[in-house]
Amino acid sequence: MKPYILNLAIILCMLLLSVSNLIAQNKSKMYGNTPDRLFPYNNFEKAYKYHFIDPIQFSGAGREKLPPKDLKEVRIGFLGPLEGSAIVSLGKQMLQGTMLAIEEANKKGGYKGLPYKLMVHNDAGLWGAAANEVVKMDDEKVWAFLGSIDDIVSHVALRAALKLEIPMVCTGNPDPTYTETNIPWTLRVISDDRQSGYAIGAYIFEKMKHKRVAVMRNSGRYGRVGVGEFYGIAKRMGHPIRIEERFDTGETDFKMQLESIKQLTPEAILIWGNAKESALIIKQIRSMGLKQPIYCSDRIVSKEFLEIAGPFAEGIVSTSPYNPEANNPKLKEFQINYFKRFKQQPDAFSAHAYDGMKILIEAINKGGLNRVLIRDYLLDLKTFQNYQGITGKIVFDATWNDIGDIWLAKVKNGKFTFILNDANENVGTKIKGAKN
Amino acid sequence: MIMTKKTFKYLIIFIFTIVFLGAGYFLINNLKSSNNLVKNEVNENNTTFSVADNKKDLEKNFESMPIFGNWESFTSENGLPDDKTYCVRIDGERILVGTHGGLAVYENKKWKTYTKEDGLAHNGVISIDVSELTGDVWLGTLGGLSRWSAGKFENFTQLNSGMPNDLVYSVVCDGKDVWVATGGGAGAYDTYTKKWQIFTEKNAPMHEPWTYGISKGDGKIFIAAWGGGVIEYTKKTRTFRDYHDPDGNMEIDLFPDDGIVHDITTGTSWSNGFLWVSTYFGLSRYDGVKWKGYFDHDSGLASNFINSLKAYRGVVFLCTDKGLSTTDGTNWVTYKRNDNNSKGKVFITKEEKITETASSSSISHSFIIGVDVKDDIIWVATSKGISRGELLKQ
Repeated sequence: MKPYILNLAIILCMLLLSVSNLIAQNKSKMYGNTPDRLFPYNNFEKAYKYHFIDPIQFSGAGREKLPPKDLKEVRIGFLGPLEGSAIVSLGKQMLQGTMLAIEEANKKGGYKGLPYKLMVHNDAGLWGAAANEVVKMDDEKVWAFLGSIDDIVSHVALRAALKLEIPMVCTGNPDPTYTETNIPWTLRVISDDRQSGYAIGAYIFEKMKHKRVAVMRNSGRYGRVGVGEFYGIAKRMGHPIRIEERFDTGETDFKMQLESIKQLTPEAILIWGNAKESALIIKQIRSMGLKQPIYCSDRIVSKEFLEIAGPFAEGIVSTSPYNPEANNPKLKEFQINYFKRFKQQPDAFSAHAYDGMKILIEAINKGGLNRVLIRDYLLDLKTFQNYQGITGKIVFDATWNDIGDIWLAKVKNGKFTFILNDANENVGTKIKGAKN
Repeated sequence: MIMTKKTFKYLIIFIFTIVFLGAGYFLINNLKSSNNLVKNEVNENNTTFSVADNKKDLEKNFESMPIFGNWESFTSENGLPDDKTYCVRIDGERILVGTHGGLAVYENKKWKTYTKEDGLAHNGVISIDVSELTGDVWLGTLGGLSRWSAGKFENFTQLNSGMPNDLVYSVVCDGKDVWVATGGGAGAYDTYTKKWQIFTEKNAPMHEPWTYGISKGDGKIFIAAWGGGVIEYTKKTRTFRDYHDPDGNMEIDLFPDDGIVHDITTGTSWSNGFLWVSTYFGLSRYDGVKWKGYFDHDSGLASNFINSLKAYRGVVFLCTDKGLSTTDGTNWVTYKRNDNNSKGKVFITKEEKITETASSSSISHSFIIGVDVKDDIIWVATSKGISRGELLKQ
């Protein structure tokens, strides 16, 4: 073949390839920073429609509304588990982090001289209480609200927030489906269980090279949805989960479930639940003579877990949305001020609530007393993109979900130590060393 | 400089490649941007453009779908208690409108407002239905369910009646029963026994406890279970069946016609043998055997974000965040407000061609929340006011 004909053929082939790429649906970046090989069906079939590539814009009315003139305070709502829930301790931490941010803002003059006032609501009352509480907040004329932790509560509240058009900043609920509702009225300031799933999955299957993994999970929605993303990537990495056993909140004897797991001799066990039950399960696993490595969801990163699990906590690895040891001067200052104010060390829920409320207050200061304009600043993916909070760098995707920093926590000498996981970039390749 | 034969050949190849690449890029971009549809525009700045002209133009472009026009709008400036309207119901000669500031009733060309002071459960009225059996008006509010009967309000809440939740997103009357979709599950109130039956994930195949839309048709009740797809309840057998997006993933729709396009459903409506399902990710239609999906990139749908819907005489009316779309499953008509001059825009999609026509009147806002149609009249509840339209062409 003559050289110029060969060259022409090569150029034509390149041209055809570029044209075929143009026809394909634009998908510049996988949703949630999911690696191509771990994206659902990506290895087998191109999806007809990819969601969450571009953020939904709110095109409703309301931006033209003028602020009221006779205000004496600027009200912000709080929704959290404060009574009658198994996660009251988390709810109180979330409230305290919120209060600290509000108090600091008021010391600086509040909103144009008006003090911010927190309107506190418990989300664990009657069935579906969150919906009723959000309506009460609307009646109280809050400009926005922060909440919650429980996934059902957060979903119910978000649906009401959309109807009533109230900006909602979520700092405690890790359910991936929360922001996958496509509702342009919420911002999540904490990493979700999708990012946790990628991080713990990479650690279990790639770093530790386990192949046969058993799962013990909470029987509620937190457990069901929480392990969902982990199951997906386990399957796509070629290691489908061998067995899943469930336990209820408040359960103390797990023998039946653990006997079933024992029979399958897994190489590792993953527990997805609250701190108390997870600690009790670990104790029972060891008392049965099982020596497999144990991994957990991020709710174990607490004093309560270390106290209940005692020496059996040693070597346990989990993810964590917060690194209390990070070399961050703003974090150190927050920790000192928090302890002075509440005589307690802050946890992930207070730290993220503090960041979330700081963001919300800044959005109110920028947008003024107009819910739609506050929403516009919160969700423009510019004003708060790469926000440097006390919890690290906060990065939002097109669903306003926090895909920023996440850590792996390991119990060493009776306390948690933290390393930054760069799962967004490196799932399936390596776990990066500590950055902070 | 004299060009060698070899250089000349490469120059020809280079020019050919540039021209071919440019032509390919132009074609592809046009295919992608216009979705392979031809667009004809009528000059919207023509101030003498009349409704009659408009009607003629629309009739010329369409022959089977109903076309509405002659829009008249109402806001808080001319009768409504609040600009934000959630829902509308045509009840004979009167129109019932749910707003954030109370129930507005339009009768004899006058508005009258009813609020908590009159006995309403809450000023935020977000769903309405009228009992064919008794003529009672049932109002789903932000704070309970109200029955408006013989001029008096009777209120039902979680505490006083045992209904699932006080936030009543949707209500539908079905004979003696009143069905509601609430923030804490679905419920059916038997007006004879005065008892509630509650349906949640505990006793129905909904894996989430919250519901958002409810409708009736074909001897069934259809619940939009907001994360749980659609729950179908057959009244005769008292059995449930659930419908989901088969790919099981929130971030994609693997195949458009394999089931509901997404599990986050916002409403259901049944008419002429078709169940229509709205989501924030597109539209689905079910004929009892097969599903069909519609998105904004492959149909005349104004936006995938659909707040609610109403099927009527074989046509579905879709309340999206970017206009009111209507379709019979093949042809589409979309109504929008032109924000530049307050006039209307009508987009007609027929056989892969889009015609954009200006109309001298418009719906009051393009963010549509609710709709009702009866015979030749349509009412549209929007983010800023409510609009009444007349049938121009059937």
